[in-house]
Order: sequence, then C-alpha cells, then structure tokens
Amino acid sequence: MLGSRELWLAGLAIALVSGLYASASALTGVPAASGFLGHSLGVLGFILMLSTETLYSLRKRAIRRPWGRMRDWLRFHIFTGIVGPYLVLLHTAWEFNGLAGVVTLLTAIVVLSGFIGRYIYTAVPRTADGIVLEAEALRNEISQLEAELRATASPAGASSESRGTSAPIQTDENAAGIGWILGRGPEEIRDRLQTWRRGRGLDRQARQLLTQKQAALRRRRQLERQIASLSTARRLLSLWHSVHIPLGMALFVAAFVHAAGALYYATLLR
Amino acid sequence: MTRPLGCLSGAGLLAGVLAAVIIAVVGAAGSNAMFSPGDLNATPGQAQVGGISTHSDLSHQCDQCHAAFWDGDRMGDRCLACHQEVAAELAVVSGFHSGFAEPGNCRDCHTEHGGPEAALTLAEISNYPHDRTGFSLRAHAPMAVGGAFRCMDCHPSQLREFSPVSCLGCHDELESGYTQKHLADFGRECLGCHDGVDHYGAAFDHQTLAFRLLGGHQGLGCSACHRGALTVLALQTAPTRCLACHAKDDVHAGRLGQECDTCHTPQTWTDATLDHQLTGFQLEGSHATADCLGCHVDRRWSGIPTDCLGCHKGQDPHAGQFAADCDACHAPTQWSEIHFDHQTSSYPLAGAHLQAACDSCHARGRYVGTPTSCLSCHASDDEHNGQFGQDCSSCHRPTRWSEVTFDHNRSAFPLVGAHLDIACDSCHAGGRYVGTPTSCVNCHASDDKHNGQFGRDCSACHRATRWSDVTFDHNRSGFPLTGAHRSVGCANCHAGGSFSGMPTACSACHSEPQIHQGVFGQDCAACHSTSAWLPASWNGPHTFPMNHGDAGGQCSTCHPSGYSEYTCYGCHKHDPAEIEKKHQEKGIPDFSDCTSCHATGKEDGGGGGNNGGGD
Repeated sequence: MLGSRELWLAGLAIALVSGLYASASALTGVPAASGFLGHSLGVLGFILMLSTETLYSLRKRAIRRPWGRMRDWLRFHIFTGIVGPYLVLLHTAWEFNGLAGVVTLLTAIVVLSGFIGRYIYTAVPRTADGIVLEAEALRNEISQLEAELRATASPAGASSESRGTSAPIQTDENAAGIGWILGRGPEEIRDRLQTWRRGRGLDRQARQLLTQKQAALRRRRQLERQIASLSTARRLLSLWHSVHIPLGMALFVAAFVHAAGALYYATLLR
Repeated sequence: MTRPLGCLSGAGLLAGVLAAVIIAVVGAAGSNAMFSPGDLNATPGQAQVGGISTHSDLSHQCDQCHAAFWDGDRMGDRCLACHQEVAAELAVVSGFHSGFAEPGNCRDCHTEHGGPEAALTLAEISNYPHDRTGFSLRAHAPMAVGGAFRCMDCHPSQLREFSPVSCLGCHDELESGYTQKHLADFGRECLGCHDGVDHYGAAFDHQTLAFRLLGGHQGLGCSACHRGALTVLALQTAPTRCLACHAKDDVHAGRLGQECDTCHTPQTWTDATLDHQLTGFQLEGSHATADCLGCHVDRRWSGIPTDCLGCHKGQDPHAGQFAADCDACHAPTQWSEIHFDHQTSSYPLAGAHLQAACDSCHARGRYVGTPTSCLSCHASDDEHNGQFGQDCSSCHRPTRWSEVTFDHNRSAFPLVGAHLDIACDSCHAGGRYVGTPTSCVNCHASDDKHNGQFGRDCSACHRATRWSDVTFDHNRSGFPLTGAHRSVGCANCHAGGSFSGMPTACSACHSEPQIHQGVFGQDCAACHSTSAWLPASWNGPHTFPMNHGDAGGQCSTCHPSGYSEYTCYGCHKHDPAEIEKKHQEKGIPDFSDCTSCHATGKEDGGGGGNNGGGD
C-alpha cells in the first residue's frame, strides 16, 4: 500500500473537504463561487493545479541541483493533481456558465488526460528516479528473475498454474501494439485474482510461497510486456504529451482570465 | 535544465496564445457575458424600471450594472439609477432601506446571476435590521395569539408600508380595556412614542426616570400628566415642576413660588412640613411657638419682612433709635433677655461706669448718639473748670476721681528734687494748672539771694534738691578758679553778694605789695601763679645774672627791701668792710653801685665803671 500513499492522502483530503463542503451546504446552502468558502476553494484548487503543472516538471529538469527525491515529487504531483481539480469542481457551485464553465470543462479534460498519461507513463520502464530503462536492462532483470524462479520451489497444487502464467512472451521491442499497453491493467487484475483463488486451499507457508512466486512471475511478465511494448509506449507517451500540454496551457490561460474577470467584476467593481 | 518545460514548448505556447485569442474574441463579441456567473433574473417587476421589466433584459449589457472601475460609479450607483424609489428611501430618515443601506452595500443583501427565477434578495428577511427603521421587533417576538411574527402580519400590503391598524388588531385582543383607554388618551399614532423596544410599553417603569412617581402620583393615569403627548419627545419633555399640574391646587396663589415640595410631600397637600429656616428666617425663641398668622397676617406668606421692626415696631421702646436690628441686643426668647455688650460698643464701660445705671448716661432713653466725652456727663464734677478740655481720662481713671494717672514728669515741668514733696497748690495756687509758668523765679522770687543778677533760671546754678546744691562751675565762667582761688570763700571775692560783673584783674582783689615799689605794674600773673605768691618768676629784663652767687632766683637775696634797689651785701662774701677796704686799696672811691662795674657779677668784668675791680 505504500506505493499508493499519495492516493490515500488525496482520498483523505477529498473526504475532509467534502465534509466541510457538505456542512456548509447544510447550513447556508451550496457555497456560492463568489462567497468566502467558494473563493477559497477556487483559489486553493487553482494553486494546487498550478503546482501540479509546474513543480514536478521543474524537478525532473533539475538534474544538476536536485532537491528531494523524484519519487516524493511524483507523489506530491499526483496528490495535487487529484485534490486541486476537486476543489475547483466544488468552487463552481455546480454552475457551469460562461468562461467559468469552460474552465471547469477544461479542468475535467486535463485531469482525465492526466490519468491516461499516467497510465501510459507507467508502461515505460523507469528507475525509481524516473530514468527510462532500455530493453537491455530489462532483459538482464528478466534473467535474474528466472534464476530466482528456478530456485523457488513451487507449492503443492500450484505448479501447473504457475507455469501457465509464467510462459514467456514475445520480447521484441516492436512486437506489441497499443492493446498491450492499455490492456495490462485488466490482465494484472486477473492475475491477482487467480493467485488469491489458488492460495485459498493452501496452508499459510504454502500460500506465502505461492504469493512470492506469483509476484516474481508477474514482474517477469511485466518486464516482458514492457520490452515488447517499449517503442509503442514511447510513441504513445509522446502523442499524449502533444495533446495534454496544449490542453493544460489552454486551461491555465482560461483560468487566469477567469480569475482576472472575477477579480475585476466581483472585487474592483463594488 | 535539460529541456524547457512542456508549457513552454511550441505546442504549449501556441495553445496558450490560441486560447487567449479565442477568449478575447468571444468576450468582445458577447460584451464580456462569458464572465457572467449565471443567468440574470427574468421575473418581471410590478412596473418597468429604466425601460426594462426584468434584469435578464440586460443579459448582454454588462456595463449597465458593472461600470468600468475608472468610471467613478459603483455598482450600487447603477442600481439606484434605475431603482429610484430605493434611492429616495436612502435620502430620508425612515423607510425600508433607510438607516443601513447605501450604494456601497447593495450587494450585502441583493444578488444576481442566480438564474431566471432565483431570488434577488440574498439576505434572510428575518435578519432584516428592523431596529434601523426606528421600530425594533424585540418586543414582538411572539404574537399575542401565539406563534412568531411574519412580515406580512404588520405589513399586509407592502413591506414598505405600515399602518397603526396593524397594532390595534393585536393589542386590542391582548388587553382591550387598556388599549381603548390608551387610544382615547394618546390617539392612534402608535409609532410616535413606541419604538418596539417596549420602552413605553408594559415593561415601562416610571421609577427609573428622573421624575419618580411617589405618593398620590402613583395612582394617576398617564394622561393626567402627559395629556396630549403624541411623541416620545413630548412625553419626555412633560414639565416636572409642581405647579405645571397643580396650579389649580395652589392655595398660596403662587406667592410661594413653584417648588411645592419644599413644604409638601407627594402623599398629601396637608401635613406640610415647612422648614422655616429655608425661608431665610429661622424661628427661634418665642417665634417658634408663635402663631403663623401672627406674622403672616391675612395668610400672606411671601414678602414678609424679616427685620424685627417689621412686626415689632409698636413694641420698640427705643423709638427706632436702633433701626430694625433688635436682635443685636435682644434675644428672640423675650425682650428682657438682652445680650447687648457695652464693651463691644464704641464706648466700653470701665471702672465706676460699670456700676452706673444706664440712664445715668442714657438719660431719657437716649442710646444712639450718646456723647462719649467725659465732660458730657461730668461737667459738674470738673474741678479744673475746663482747663483740661473734655478728656478727663488723660489724668483720671474711670474708677474714681482721686485715682489720677497724671504724670507731672510727662508734662512740660517734670518734678524733681524738692518739687516732688511739695503740695500741688504750692505751685498751682488757686487751682490753676493750665498755663502755670515754669520759670524758677515765678515761685522763688523771694528766695533769690542774687537779687536777680542771674536772671530767672535758677537751675543754671542750683539743683532742684536744695538751694545749696549748686551746680555752678566757676571754671566755665570768665574767671576759672585755679590754684589758691579754689579754696577761698565765695565772699572773699564776691563781697556783698555781688556775683555778676565781677572784675577779673588781679589787682581788683590783690593790692600791689610794698616790695614791688611800683616796679611791676598790675599784671601779677607776669611773675606769680594762682597757686601762691611765691615763688615768683621774673621773665623780664634783668641785666645782672639772676643766679649769681647761687642766688637760685631768690629775689630777696639781692632785693631785700624793694625791687627798685639792690644790695650785694646780703651775701656772706660781700662784707661791706671788706669791700670798702678792697675798693679803697684799688683807689675806687665810689663803689656804691656795684653793677656799674660788675655788670656780670664778676670781679673783673662786665662793668663799664672806672673803678676797676673784681670781687
């Protein structure tokens, strides 16, 4: 679970903000976008979104003067990327008129695009610091995993199934298409489900052994998949960047104009 | 940095610029309507305002409400430009919007862009600051019939309109009798006095005001004092002076002023407790028990004179000598109690005067203007026949005449010596004191043994003790007594009592002795001193040495019989026989005049004689 701590934190933040929002709604109705709470949500959400857009990218480029671990910045990036848009959504007071509505729509699109990007991003093998791994490095790791698998005794009643999922796949970098990349999620879920079913009838020691072996097999398969879809994933990621960045820029330009308009009409023109 | 941020890539920048352009174009085309947070209200008003019937008619004319910030107008100004009835309310004291609303705070209560049917008033009407209209709802929380008030309960037609009829409906139901009486007393303009805080309602407590209701005031209806008051100001300015309401009750006909409570209490008019001291005339002595009407004749309470004679003029035995100030001498208890102190008067009594009867001096009751000079009473007692004027006290004490304080020594003729012991009439014969001459001779003429030689001032030579006590100093006279003159009796020189004009020459007393043979004249002092006749000294010419033969100045050695002749034989060395023998031997026949040859007393010298010689 440690691997997705930022998701938990984001969920917690969303729950807290939602509680606050629900309380305010119960007391005084839906907080208006121009009210204190509404404005606060909008300003804070926008700042978080701006952080999402800039800080992680800056850190990635700060190779000579790194500050903080890349993994932590990525977690912060994910956290702000989830919570910020949620706050902006609450700021709308569920009214999507004019430019404000366009900004909300763009926000939703960019967030969705971000999730897709993230999915594609993880298809490209990287080190813990985000450095892209080449195919050769992946093959070396596969060799190490196979040696571990050979040394690991298969638990009784699990050997045939394990062998079924551990069958090697095509490891040519250009062998797989987009389906390999987008379909890895459902396959992983199926794999985890199978491991759970097989382990139900085993004793505790055998179940642990099975889990370890299945994890090694999954990792091997993941590596094999990554090798097979490496070129495709890179192309897809490049394509996503081409779409996501202009959308983000359009969003922030529109958001700035919206904030300026709100400031002008709601504050300066008392 | 290895490569620029994604947003700064060509695609990113292009997208940003494109978005900005699109927004600008859409904004310009739609009059910035894209900034609208929602649709405007589309509910028509009762009448058109500013040429429109709903705000939604201005959906694409943002500047109708949102003036540019450089325009000077606020949004509220734009509101009031159309909603002039509200602007009019802001300009007056009372009204739905007056007291709290102003162009800058329209948005505190009103909103827009909430949709075609959304309410334009954001504020909860129950939170409307009703106090600011001049009528608080504090006392109207529950209705008389129960339940909370609604706006329409008092404002059935319009929120801006109010009729006192709304009050009467509830209050008549709540307390009908009181309401009807109240209406009869104060009319129907409830808001004239009532502000809703219940300051003047059931909770009103007159006792908290400056004019507390006491005694008979407590049972009165409000209108008894506040009749005709239709405003709070009129209630508050109800007169508090007693006579404002009780003029008809004033049996003193206003003569005692306006402050009834000086004597009367709010309980009852009777049992007045007058502190007569407050009138400036404290009742003391007999006055305290006197009948009021004794002074206040015919119930005349004011203007009564406070001076004694105002009432006691007929009883004044002094015939008005002391004006009206009887209490300067008499106590108020009774006339006979007199506290007059003669000592504080201009004529304090002393000595025999203390025992004298008043009328001894104040004959016929005359007190004022009684003369204070002694003779004004004692003229018949003046044995000096007025020689000393009117003021006997300069010599006599007031105890008795014989106690005299006269000090002769402070007079022009201090008594000294024998004068102290003699009787007054020795000098003041016939009782004459003033003008008594002070020269000695005036009394002592018969005693003058000098027969007036020394004038009238005996004291120049005599002390006053006795005649023989003489202070004459002969040395200060023209003939100071020196030497033997000091021991001679006066009569030796002043024979026959003659003192003045006495000659001072020696010869006046001393006749020239035989031995002088008229050689020295009258100037005895040329050779003699006053100590004694001898020794005498001759300072005149003397051709022969005066100390010859150790004569030592003894004149008689050479001049035994007179100074016109001399002899040299008085000395033992000059034996006449021997001298004759020697002169004979030298052939000098005539040797009778020794000095002719012996001018210096030497045997051989000095002389011009022809007899030669030496001794």
